[in-house]
Amino acid sequence: MKHTESNVWVGEKDLTQDPAFLQSLENEFTSLEEAALGGNDRLASLEANRRDFLKVLGFGIGAATLASCEAPVKKAIPFVIKPDSIVPGIANYYASSFVNGGDYCSVLVKTREGRPIKIEGNALSPVTRGGTSARAQAAVLSLYDYNRLKGPSRIQGGNPESIDWASLDQEMREALASAAKVRILSSTIMSPSSLKAVDAFCAKYSGAKHVVYDAVSSSALLDATEVCFGQRVLPEYRFDLADSIVSFRADFLGTWISPIEYAAQYATRRVPRTEGTPMSRHIQFESHMSLTGSNADHRILVRPSEQSAAIAHLYNALATASGRPTQSELSLNEKAKTAIDKMAIQLLQQMGKSLVVAGTNNLGDQMLIYAINDLLGNINQTVRFDRVSYQRKGSDAAVQQLLAEMQAGEVDVLIIWNANPAYELPFAADFSAALAKVKKSVSFNASLDETSIGCQLAAPDHHFLESWGDVEPKSGQFSFIQPSIRPIFDTRDAALSLLKWANVKPAGLDEDFTYLDFLMANWAEKLGSSGTAFQNAWDQLIHDGVFETAVNSKPAACQVDVSMAFSKLAKPGDPAVLEIDFFETVHIGAGQYAGIPWLQELPDPVTRTVWGNYLAVPVSFDGDRRFNALGKVKEDGELVQLTTAHGKVEIGAVKQFGQMQGTLSVALGYGRRNAGDCGTGVGTDFNAYCPMVDGYIQYYSTGASLGDSSRVIEKHFACVQHHHTYGVTAKDAKTGENFNADEAALVDDVFKGFTKGFQGALTDRSVIRHSTLDQLEENTKKLQEERAHHQHLNSHTLYPGHEYLYNAGHQWALHIDLNACIGCGACAVACMAENNVPVVGKREVSRHHEMTWLRIDRYYYGDVEKPNVVYQPMMCQHCNNAPCENVCPVNATSHSSEGLNQMAYNRCVGTRYCANNCPYKVRRFNWYDYTTADLFPVNQFNIAKEQSKPFYADNLVRMVLNPDVTVRARGVIEKCSFCVQRIQEGKLNAKREQRPLSDLDVKSACQTACPTSAITFGDRNNPEGILSGKLKNPLNYLVLEEVNVSPSVNYTMKVNNRDESLNA
Amino acid sequence: MSYIKLLFAGLMVFCIHLGAFATPDIEVGKELFKNNCAACHNKNMKDALTGPALGPVLEKWAAYPKEDFYQWVRNSQGMIKAGHPLAVESWNAFKPNIMTPFPNLTNDEIESLMLYIDGVFKGTYGPKAVTATETAGDSTQESGFAFWLYIVFVLLAGLALFLWKLTADLQYSISHKTGDKEVKKPSLLGMVANKSVVSFLIFALVLFGGYTTVNNAISIGRQQNYAPQQPIKFSHATHAGLHKIDCNYCHDGARRTKHSIIPAANTCMNCHAAIKRGSKYGTAELTKIYASIGFDPSTDKYLENYDAMSEAELSGIYKKWIDDNFVRANGLKESNASSQAEADKQWSDIKASLTSETKPRIQGAIEWVRIHNLPDHVYFNHSQHVTVGKVECQKCHGKIEEMDLVRQYSTLSMGWCINCHRQTDVKFADNKYYESYRTYHDELKKGTRQSVKVSDIGGLDCQKCHY
Repeated sequence: MKHTESNVWVGEKDLTQDPAFLQSLENEFTSLEEAALGGNDRLASLEANRRDFLKVLGFGIGAATLASCEAPVKKAIPFVIKPDSIVPGIANYYASSFVNGGDYCSVLVKTREGRPIKIEGNALSPVTRGGTSARAQAAVLSLYDYNRLKGPSRIQGGNPESIDWASLDQEMREALASAAKVRILSSTIMSPSSLKAVDAFCAKYSGAKHVVYDAVSSSALLDATEVCFGQRVLPEYRFDLADSIVSFRADFLGTWISPIEYAAQYATRRVPRTEGTPMSRHIQFESHMSLTGSNADHRILVRPSEQSAAIAHLYNALATASGRPTQSELSLNEKAKTAIDKMAIQLLQQMGKSLVVAGTNNLGDQMLIYAINDLLGNINQTVRFDRVSYQRKGSDAAVQQLLAEMQAGEVDVLIIWNANPAYELPFAADFSAALAKVKKSVSFNASLDETSIGCQLAAPDHHFLESWGDVEPKSGQFSFIQPSIRPIFDTRDAALSLLKWANVKPAGLDEDFTYLDFLMANWAEKLGSSGTAFQNAWDQLIHDGVFETAVNSKPAACQVDVSMAFSKLAKPGDPAVLEIDFFETVHIGAGQYAGIPWLQELPDPVTRTVWGNYLAVPVSFDGDRRFNALGKVKEDGELVQLTTAHGKVEIGAVKQFGQMQGTLSVALGYGRRNAGDCGTGVGTDFNAYCPMVDGYIQYYSTGASLGDSSRVIEKHFACVQHHHTYGVTAKDAKTGENFNADEAALVDDVFKGFTKGFQGALTDRSVIRHSTLDQLEENTKKLQEERAHHQHLNSHTLYPGHEYLYNAGHQWALHIDLNACIGCGACAVACMAENNVPVVGKREVSRHHEMTWLRIDRYYYGDVEKPNVVYQPMMCQHCNNAPCENVCPVNATSHSSEGLNQMAYNRCVGTRYCANNCPYKVRRFNWYDYTTADLFPVNQFNIAKEQSKPFYADNLVRMVLNPDVTVRARGVIEKCSFCVQRIQEGKLNAKREQRPLSDLDVKSACQTACPTSAITFGDRNNPEGILSGKLKNPLNYLVLEEVNVSPSVNYTMKVNNRDESLNA
Repeated sequence: MSYIKLLFAGLMVFCIHLGAFATPDIEVGKELFKNNCAACHNKNMKDALTGPALGPVLEKWAAYPKEDFYQWVRNSQGMIKAGHPLAVESWNAFKPNIMTPFPNLTNDEIESLMLYIDGVFKGTYGPKAVTATETAGDSTQESGFAFWLYIVFVLLAGLALFLWKLTADLQYSISHKTGDKEVKKPSLLGMVANKSVVSFLIFALVLFGGYTTVNNAISIGRQQNYAPQQPIKFSHATHAGLHKIDCNYCHDGARRTKHSIIPAANTCMNCHAAIKRGSKYGTAELTKIYASIGFDPSTDKYLENYDAMSEAELSGIYKKWIDDNFVRANGLKESNASSQAEADKQWSDIKASLTSETKPRIQGAIEWVRIHNLPDHVYFNHSQHVTVGKVECQKCHGKIEEMDLVRQYSTLSMGWCINCHRQTDVKFADNKYYESYRTYHDELKKGTRQSVKVSDIGGLDCQKCHY
């Protein structure tokens, strides 16, 4: 069904004009009585009685009097011997690499007074090109995780008992000396030096073997590459060289292999233009709305079990067209068939300029994908082998074999290295049981997770910010890790532990060699130099953080046994039975990141839920005004019974646009049992629901069934989808006209009949503008006419002649390219890290109290059943006619001479008039003392447990705070400041060096985090600046330009490259 | 006419006479001492420093001809080689420290020096006590003005009272004369206790009370003139005043970062590895630096494994140093009860200064008491003011080079900041950064604008200091 009533919508409620929802828009902040609090869960503060009031009053007066009597004596403590490199107040940046299993990002670590406080991208990296991901941004917080193990421990009854390294080493050496079977189980290791240490270890103990698996497996792809190309590696994909991108469930912008790299490549071809290098067309085959799928021009809906059939059908279509033999078909839905046939014709016209990828873990699928790319001439073009990727190395078969060995009691020593098999694997329970049969088990994991807790010893590894290391994410493209802080706890490099246990002493090193010595020895060998020459080369490597060797340009030849591939394909399930897809999210991953509060509080880009995973249930339009979610779910967050062959669970459900009918989906990585205060027990674990087929883990399950909803909404269900909405349009029931829903809700009681909106001109608000590439010219013209009209209306001013105010000095502005934005959330986490934005926890988010300065709004448009998505990063627009400023009774928010909308926290008394008057809903109020910045510890509670201290109260966690940004206290409003601390720093640097300010001096945190360069910050008065160029884009528009608040943030019209004939 | 000529000639003769026949002058001696001797000799002339105390030295030299002393000052090493008995004695006490030769000093200049040394030593010449009541800025002038206002006010009030009484008395006389017996003789008390006066007084009291309350409330947390005792009696007057060490030498952050930076102990050691006795306190204060950083002044070496040393070991090393110095300075032959008592006394002070509740050990950083405390929500950057704005340190910190004990000179209130931002010119011309302010440059060129104040380029914006 084509939804024509309104153009853009955020969810089902505004589409259907749910009266309760419209009413709720009336409230800027939800009231305490809000049902979200749940039945009896009343706030303690509401129950305070007269005596409590008097107590607090008495204490308050007493404390205030005491506090004013005498100022405390503060100490100023200098260094004894000041290191040259540390200047208090000035940040140092160290090139390093974020690595966690197969996740990789080359980074610069910002340190202040010796503390890492922020991660920035390293622009020198040929792989990540200065981009980052939400995970990389949040990694700095995991350094200060108080749940980390404090040192080598013996684990007894689930509790760590501290021991020393010497006795641990002794115990391990003894165990290893008598061991017949030694196994190292790790996630992907990309470090050449660590692998060398593993080799040395395995050489010493003949019974030793290294087993690798990935939390979300790419085993089939690796095996297919081995079958077809003779190497068990991953190819290098070039999304920037593809005119057409076809992805079968591969979430390459979010989670698949190397998303930062792919996103940067992808964005270079998403520039809407009709001449020159064309805009790419992206077609995604999937059942659930993934981050990548939401960015696609077309989503062709196939059931999870139909992926093989779809790939097979594409192969046959291409084979027929190119005169190759076809193979017998599998059943596939007709719509997909038609679309694939049409798509095949287009692909054949773009020989060597398309790219087909699949994210399924099926050997047949992956082999056929190679065959398809071969037929399309893409091998050595967009699928290359000159720089192969090492970012996934896991083998499902190997880990299953290990399990069998463990179950048979054959494994004498098991070493776990940055892996959590007791949670991540479908057979995690079996693994846990088998772990008890291992004679000596030791874990290098940082904290006491599900696996470590079952081991006998823990030998915790450093955090990557504390360690030295090297990484080879792609062949010949090296990246280095250098410590930016001394190890906080008594930890040791895992590779060094292996070397110590193996009694390996590399040549030329003394007895007490460190991992750095080992690393440098390896690189001296690799670079073939020594002495000063090597030292100079090494210094350069560490300074740059990256190093590239010459490319291997030998073209690869593809050998695919198509009939064998077809024999391995998955059989489609019964279309009448529900199927469920299990996917990895961009923030929590497969659970590795569950312990990081910033990531738990980052909304899922598509469902916009936080602190939990929810079952996505498809919606269909019932022809009237309601959307039907399989006839089961009425409200988002309702608890439903899900049953599959692997078990039964009660879980909150969300109604999800774009979810295919007859399918469900839910995220992996939740329901961790041992993930510290933050991650434990958040959401539901579905790893055990993933079946094994042909020895490969499958991330879908057929034969699911959904019980009736209990009509009970999950406690503290938090979905930010409908928080802070604005500009919602709906259709008037009587007249059939579009009107502004939130305005109407406001005036409904007072101005009965005034459904067209308050004060006349606010209908048809312009929040999102979009076009297809075909209609670009026409829509651009329309956009500009509309803007001209708005500007004409806005041109009248009560105070003429003040234009000169905007001409002197700087005028800061932001440009956001919605065509480049993929909604990954890196900017949102960067903003939290840079600006000390508090984490508030699930309960608070459920009450609309999230503190995010930058949110990424997700809007649907187009066909209700197969909608397109546009992501819109929304932050303070720094309006030049700011409506918030003139309602503040105490002048706490005012306008700066440089066009900033300033917020003076110390002045704010918390009337919240400004937030009420903000048309963009970007102002946030500190309802509680989330950061313990207040004078008196009242109104504080923890993100997880209401009784314990707040998250930011912990002194270890507080080390992450940016010292240049005030930590806000309870009772004040805060919002995006355009990173004013960075502006001031950049200006000061320029002034000190007596030179004009350049674009490089001032970059906002969101800008530097973005992997696709969608965000540009700058001075609009600088005609040579990058921003000035971007502001000339004819697709630019201002959100709500018609209300004449004159915002400083420009967005571009979202353009997609749809080909409507594919849908027919 | 001839009269004027005569006078002029006389004046000339007088001047020439002054030049040619300069007599020893104690002020000249003071200048000479400051420039030539103060680096090594204690200015109290009583205690030894790198060089001996000069008071006793002069007394010893008094036994020899003056020429010997002149020669000693001009070339001491020569005299030691020549074997002058007193020269050799001094050399044995202070070797290997060589006194810098001053061959250019005239006899008169040396005489002036002797006068000054003798004066200081005997206490007949001394620096005038600095008035402790000196307050910040031009408030002295203001308070003088206010004093006169008060005088005028009291005089006028007295006059008014007198005239009022006079009128009342006259009124009474008239009434009395006209035969109105009812009228009472006005008393002063009766007049003052009248209703309108009382209500005026109450009104004034409330007004004054309110004003005082508000003013005091505003000044909560402000610490102008805060001058706490520091763990080390470090004198800016000696370092910045007498020796004219640049502020930026020790406070090296002021020109490049937000903090001025309290110098680390290793910065002190740049000079005090050589200058081991202070001019005022001898070993009492400087030993604190050595104990903090782990430097043994007796051997001129940094102590190995200093962090691991026990307090007993430390006290052994540093008491010996204090004892030795006491012995030398007082010309004792060997350590005795008084020298040991001095060492004990100094050591217990050192220990108290270097330890605190949070820092039980002597080793490690010196915990200075912070004087300038800005609230957390204020961002202040020294380099912006020092390097870019070229503001003198003294503008905010007062005459720090005259302070023995540092005190907070300014209020550090927001009004004080804002006021300066309103009045100060931006160093606009010679910094290319400001080129982007084209409008102002044009106006300056045209002459329609005289200067650009900090407030003109956003110096009053909230988010210049609060973010």
